[in-house]
Amino acid sequence: MTEAARPELVCPAGTPAALKSAVDAGADCVYVGFRDETNARNFPGLNFNRKELAGGIAYAHANGAKLLVAINTFPRAGRPELWHRAVDDAAELGADALILADVGLLDYAARRHPEARLHLSVQAAASNPAAIAFYAERFGVKRVVLPRVLTVQEIAALNRRIRPVETEVFVFGGLCVMAEGRCSLSSYVTGQSPNVNGVCSPAAHVRYVESPEGIASQLGGFTINRFGRNEPAGYPTLCKGRFIAGGKASYLFEEPTSLNTLNILPELIAAGVTAFKIEGRQRGRAYVAAVVRAFRQGVDAVLAGRGVPDIDLDAITEGGRQTTGAYERAWR
Amino acid sequence: MEQGRVPPFSPVLLLGMVLKPVRPSLLQPLFDAMLRLVRRRHPDILERMEPFAESSVCIDPVDLPFMLLLEPNPENPRLTVRRHIDADEVSATVRGPLETLIALAEGKVDGDALFFTRQLVVEGDTEVVVALRNAVDGAGIDLIEDFTALLGPLARPARAVAGTALGLLGRLREDVETLRRSLIAPAVQSSDAQSARIGELEAEIQALRKQARGTRAARGQEA
Repeated sequence: MTEAARPELVCPAGTPAALKSAVDAGADCVYVGFRDETNARNFPGLNFNRKELAGGIAYAHANGAKLLVAINTFPRAGRPELWHRAVDDAAELGADALILADVGLLDYAARRHPEARLHLSVQAAASNPAAIAFYAERFGVKRVVLPRVLTVQEIAALNRRIRPVETEVFVFGGLCVMAEGRCSLSSYVTGQSPNVNGVCSPAAHVRYVESPEGIASQLGGFTINRFGRNEPAGYPTLCKGRFIAGGKASYLFEEPTSLNTLNILPELIAAGVTAFKIEGRQRGRAYVAAVVRAFRQGVDAVLAGRGVPDIDLDAITEGGRQTTGAYERAWR
Repeated sequence: MEQGRVPPFSPVLLLGMVLKPVRPSLLQPLFDAMLRLVRRRHPDILERMEPFAESSVCIDPVDLPFMLLLEPNPENPRLTVRRHIDADEVSATVRGPLETLIALAEGKVDGDALFFTRQLVVEGDTEVVVALRNAVDGAGIDLIEDFTALLGPLARPARAVAGTALGLLGRLREDVETLRRSLIAPAVQSSDAQSARIGELEAEIQALRKQARGTRAARGQEA
């Protein structure tokens, strides 16, 4: 396999310590966000201030890694200043790429910082050649993070049609209900959504109630799920709630299951994907180190022709269960 | 006993029994020193907790006979040792075995995974706990490194001593685990026997149900 076919491993970091863990575990790129509403993981106590970002860029570059900054929420109507400042600061501090979703912000970044490398966030949900061509032609977007709705065959066909635009696909982590950038479920209950506020089902609205039977997870005062004493619990995002319909409790939208593509890495590499993305900036450095190490080993082993190593990531997956999601569409 | 208060059988639990007669006020200087150390070595923790300056968190090591009250006000942070803290005194409570809490502080284990598998119990304001988890995880705490760094030229030998102590603790943990298994062996045997018997009964019930369905179907055909 040629050097050009070696996919980059793009890894999450919510704090400087997690960034160091990701780089030390073998990340090619680390993606981070500022400590405000401009990124889709606006969690309490998480993310980077400007000084920490400068330090993170220095640490990544000193170790041969790149640093990408996600500014991937949609600016409030008439109040884009916070988002503009984030673009300016990330570009001026020397980020290797900006991950953007909003067309207005892409336009701003392309005009103000023509030298900056722009990636299209998954939040833009561009999944066909016409949409991707629009972003590439109008704003010079170099890479598209694909929404998690395509099969491996569809990704391969897309790659053939959009070159030289690169694709980045998620290989591990939490899943959404396939309406990225357009989901408002969280805002119905909490008034806040990932699209504008950068947080889905914010922790301020979450409560866990223990009882002898187990634990109930609540969002905005509504019980979203109940777990038995020996059942793995989950975070109460509305889409992963267990609801009663027809007298039966079940996961109507989506089960609390993690994406894990270790076993289909050879197919994803053959599909011509440029970068593999690990989800989870909100997770701790133990998660980051374990997942990055596993995928570093996996990608290196496949490229060396050794096949996929058997690495158990059950302990750190949501719900203790894993899926290859839409890539294989095993449910069909 | 409260939810999540059942401690695992471990060296820390035995230590906790030894510490039971000790008044919390006698331990307070140790935690004052620990907080001073954290402020000096990891000022970013309190900076990240700034929006929650007025919140307080109860940290409850379930295998020790005391609890910690954390008030993360950046201007005047406090870590107070108490025999007991009521849930309504604090914004949130984090409960778990001491070794788990230390591993979490050092970023050696994933907090979400611990919570989802109930090794860690969280009560009250989830936002404060998430912020605290992120702030502590992001600081890159290494307790031995942090403590020994205070000792200047003695840091290296102190680290060697700490390494030896950790090795001894590991052996002690193995011994305690052996003791635990010996103590519960009769109960495990009895439980295994009951599980086997339940398995047999389930198989028998299934066979009987199948037989009953066959009988019903045969009667239906006759009718």
